[in-house]
Amino acid sequence: MTRPSRIISGLENLLFFWLGLTTILIIGGNNLAIPAFLQVFGRLHPLILHFPIVILLMGIATIWIKEQTWKDAGRMFLLLGSNFAGITVVAGLILAAEDYEGNSLDWHKWLGIISLALSIFIYFLVKKPNLSQKTFSSFLAICLILTGHFGANLTHGEDFLLAPIQSKEEKQIALEEAEIFGDLVMPIFETKCISCHKEGKIKGELRLDDLEALKKGGESGPFLVAGDPENSLFLQKIHLPLEDEEHMPPKNKTQLTDEEIELLKTWVASGASFDQKISELEETSPLYILASQKFSAQKTYEFDPASDSDIQSLNNFFRKVKPLHPESPALEVAYFGASSFDPNSLKDFKKIKNQVVKVNLNRMPLEGVSLQFLEDLKNLEELQMNFTGLQPDQIQVLEKLPNLKKLAISGNNLGPESMAPLSKLNQLNYLYFWESGLSEEQKKELQKNLQKTKIDFGFNSKGVILALNPPKIEFENSMFGDSAKIELSHPIRSAQLRYTLDGSEPDSTSSLIYSNVIFIKESSEIKVKAFAPEWIGSSPVKAVLFKKGRKPESASLTHEPNPKYKAQEVQTLFDGVKGKANHTSGEWLGYSEKPFEVILKINPQAPPKQLQASLLLNESAYIFPPESVDLWISSNGTWKKVKIDSPSQSEKFGEVRYELLKYELPKESFEEIRLTLKPISQLPKWHPGAGSKGWVFVDEIFIY
Amino acid sequence: MEKEILEQGLNHNRRKFLSRLSLGLGSAALGSLLIPGLFDGRKEAEESMMRALPHFAPKAKRIIYLFQNGAPSQLETFDYKPLLQKNFGQELPESIRMGQRLTGMTAGQSSFPLVGSYFDFSQYGQSRAWISSLFPHLASVVDDLCIVKSMHTEAINHDPALTFFQTGAQVGNRPSMGSWLSYGLGSENENLPAFCVLLSRGKGNGQGVYSKLWSNGFLDAKHQGVQFSNSEDPVLYLSDPDGMSRDQRRKMLDQIAAMNDLSYQQFNDPEITAKIQQYEMAFRMQTAVPEITDITKEPDSIIKLYGPECLVPGTYAANCLLARKLSENGVRFVQLYHQGWDAHDNLPNQMIGQAKDVDQASAALITDLKQRGLLDETLVIWGGEFGRTNYCQGKIAPENYGRDHHPRAFSIFMAGGGIKSGIVYGETDDFGYNITENPVHVHDFQATVLHLMGIDHEKLTYKHLGRRYRLTDVHGNVVKDLIA
Repeated sequence: MTRPSRIISGLENLLFFWLGLTTILIIGGNNLAIPAFLQVFGRLHPLILHFPIVILLMGIATIWIKEQTWKDAGRMFLLLGSNFAGITVVAGLILAAEDYEGNSLDWHKWLGIISLALSIFIYFLVKKPNLSQKTFSSFLAICLILTGHFGANLTHGEDFLLAPIQSKEEKQIALEEAEIFGDLVMPIFETKCISCHKEGKIKGELRLDDLEALKKGGESGPFLVAGDPENSLFLQKIHLPLEDEEHMPPKNKTQLTDEEIELLKTWVASGASFDQKISELEETSPLYILASQKFSAQKTYEFDPASDSDIQSLNNFFRKVKPLHPESPALEVAYFGASSFDPNSLKDFKKIKNQVVKVNLNRMPLEGVSLQFLEDLKNLEELQMNFTGLQPDQIQVLEKLPNLKKLAISGNNLGPESMAPLSKLNQLNYLYFWESGLSEEQKKELQKNLQKTKIDFGFNSKGVILALNPPKIEFENSMFGDSAKIELSHPIRSAQLRYTLDGSEPDSTSSLIYSNVIFIKESSEIKVKAFAPEWIGSSPVKAVLFKKGRKPESASLTHEPNPKYKAQEVQTLFDGVKGKANHTSGEWLGYSEKPFEVILKINPQAPPKQLQASLLLNESAYIFPPESVDLWISSNGTWKKVKIDSPSQSEKFGEVRYELLKYELPKESFEEIRLTLKPISQLPKWHPGAGSKGWVFVDEIFIY
Repeated sequence: MEKEILEQGLNHNRRKFLSRLSLGLGSAALGSLLIPGLFDGRKEAEESMMRALPHFAPKAKRIIYLFQNGAPSQLETFDYKPLLQKNFGQELPESIRMGQRLTGMTAGQSSFPLVGSYFDFSQYGQSRAWISSLFPHLASVVDDLCIVKSMHTEAINHDPALTFFQTGAQVGNRPSMGSWLSYGLGSENENLPAFCVLLSRGKGNGQGVYSKLWSNGFLDAKHQGVQFSNSEDPVLYLSDPDGMSRDQRRKMLDQIAAMNDLSYQQFNDPEITAKIQQYEMAFRMQTAVPEITDITKEPDSIIKLYGPECLVPGTYAANCLLARKLSENGVRFVQLYHQGWDAHDNLPNQMIGQAKDVDQASAALITDLKQRGLLDETLVIWGGEFGRTNYCQGKIAPENYGRDHHPRAFSIFMAGGGIKSGIVYGETDDFGYNITENPVHVHDFQATVLHLMGIDHEKLTYKHLGRRYRLTDVHGNVVKDLIA
């Protein structure tokens, strides 16, 4: 035999050494005192274990290959692999003496040992080819894989392998049901601590998977001191610096977040209760606040979801049935479109009576409709029936709904008769009852009957006094021929509209009351105010309407208007078009440097009785009343003064507005009229343009 | 050589081909296991995502967003800074400004004089929140509010800032928040659009709002915001023309649907069924919308609650009332815009007018939802696109001053819908310039709002031009402290 065979025989011999050592370790079991250096060897188990798995599986694979070269190599694989299996088993048995116990460990241990024995057995079997080698090696492969699996369970946790394909659906827990320990504290232990402190892997003799064991603590002492976070061992370890050997969780594991540490600390500080519910805490306590951030106010539901086809069949354009959110079995139902409401459709609730938690029937005409269907909805929590024409007798059914928490019946004017049935609804947390039809005393009484219900009676308009908004004046055109039709309106139907036509302020007692349409025959300024009981009168609105005048035989302007505001020059004054309240609209003649002066030729046979000039005022645009007005007439070439006037000047900024200057003409015959309007030569001191010249804007001259 | 090629060809016989094919099939099968949805059509993949929504139990079902367009000043609303009143006219210290950028409107100013609120502040409610005297009604509901004083944004001008708030990006081509929610959660009520838009305008200096703000971006067109106008026809093109009866319309739709169905059978284009559904929805809207816009059935006390303005179509108060009615009827997202907050000058005067427009109606909306038991499932948001500077723009006087744009710190408030009530969150420095505590970025705000609706903002995505888009882009953290 050559050298290689000596190596082979040496390795073959070694196999029996491993078998023997294994036997000793098994028999010795927990009674063995393992020296420190052997512990180090034991801890190599997780490293070495990969070799036998790979090498043996390769060896097994060669058994199926017919080529001789592979067969030869395969034997070597089996030999080498069996030796590694031996080392692994021995190291594993030493390691097992440390802190491990439990089901997974037992399975892992014995399967590992069987794998070792089998691999050795097959090695020798292959030496003398035998038909059963394929059977045995298949069995070995299975053992190897299972051993590996249980080993992985030990280090990574029971559900490590299948976790990704298991449903990750997180249980939604409602705040009111959550327990402090079970739902807040334990989940932290479960994710961050328990993999090393549980049955099968009790590091530091501490088990967190068992409540009694947890309370007992580990090798260093009790786990915690209730009410004393400073002296609670586990919190001390958590707070040690990361580099410290005693720091928990160990450096290489996922660390606790600040939030989690805070939560654990607060839990211990508040007495480390194991069975208290979060809802039993004060709402201001730190733990409650932490908890309320964690849990939704959303409830969990025990009942089964309704079938998709049932939900589908109930949905139409006017009724929406859908889960509260995609994962919830609870359904909400909303009706839309009062005109399409069919009372019979309420019977459809039968199909989903267990799942419906919320119903919205706002604005549906429910008067006289039977609400008996509600009786079946035992899980109903919220019901909205605002503005439905509901009657007191219809709400009696509500007392049969034990879970009803929120009821909205605003806008139904239910009145005192609703007191009795409503007073029985002490299951309610919230009652929305605006426009209830109850007196103040009755409201108080209802609140007394429903002690724990928060009742919102809503806005009470009694005693609220507001100013009415101004009415609207409508007419076709601000210039009219013989007469003009004016219509007044106000959005509040009960409002009374009073008006004047002489420019004076309307009042609530003596001014004319508007009933239908107003006709005027003269140029007038109409002022309107709205009044109503329990309201403050509106501010006035006004409009100026102009009666079209006669046309003169001819007319001429003495001075050209400012080129920017020359409109249609003299034509503008008699075109029968009222300028808009904007001096740049191209309908106004503007004068600043020179005065406005117009000379009208008229028929002396029928001289006019009156002259009116329509002006625009807008102080912020430097447009003021004229400084002086000169009115002259001439007959037979002689001019005669009629009026020299200086209209009252503006004293502050006002809105853009019209002004009408009216002058009576002498009752005699004349051929010409001359009107001169001199713009203000110095703007007053309060004006930003104080001292400079102002403007006069004219759009129309009326002669009657 | 030729022989080898022939051999190679002959070797590729059917048996070999089939056996190798099985390998290919195997790897494809494995691939589909590893990447779920690998072989799904895009449509179906998205639908399966939809089935999983909301991602978790939602706290809010609906949102009413009262957008104060033009940016109301935080210093005259919720961020009380007595130091600014004390140091009136003094220069803004460089240690506070720290060279941060300004808009072109004030960057050229030679000085930046501090100016405090013209309006007094008082503390209200259990939270002892400071609220200015401009908002007596909101002060009365302060215990329902969650005031965030530490909002900040990236944009400094209106349009980008507004677009950023609504779409998560400053450049406008992304879906609006309401569109994302419509896409993610759909409509509660299938007879109304999931996303409705209402506009109003105050007398203050206004900034435009454009339909791109309620655009569906790259999402399906059905997620676009539907603007309600204050005309007789609240939804444009919805009513039947004169002379057409509802029966005739029904017949017409049936005929069109039948024809569409034929072409669907021919082409299998899902857009065709989508079209049929949209016609049907419009038909149902024809009855649903008038039911909602009719305010004649509202009780009188509602008018006192919202104020008489609520009867004047197109006002903020009327829009608040309409928003409540839409929301109550299952509209997922109602977006209001009230223009006129851009007070670069004459701020106290403009603020008085604007506050008068919104104070009573905003508070009324909260009270109204509450008294119907709806506030806990409806999230109300009130706020602008950024804040205003603590220094004066233009001429300065205690009763007449202006403020420029300020994106570094501003205040908004929320109420209902799973948000904490009666709290003030975040803090700014004594100058009201920088945030000192708990900053909330626009993306954080968006993430939080989606969270309240039961949506993980990182998971609500849409693939477009080769990448997945989110409302929060690649940012955003849910502000847990704001959630009840």
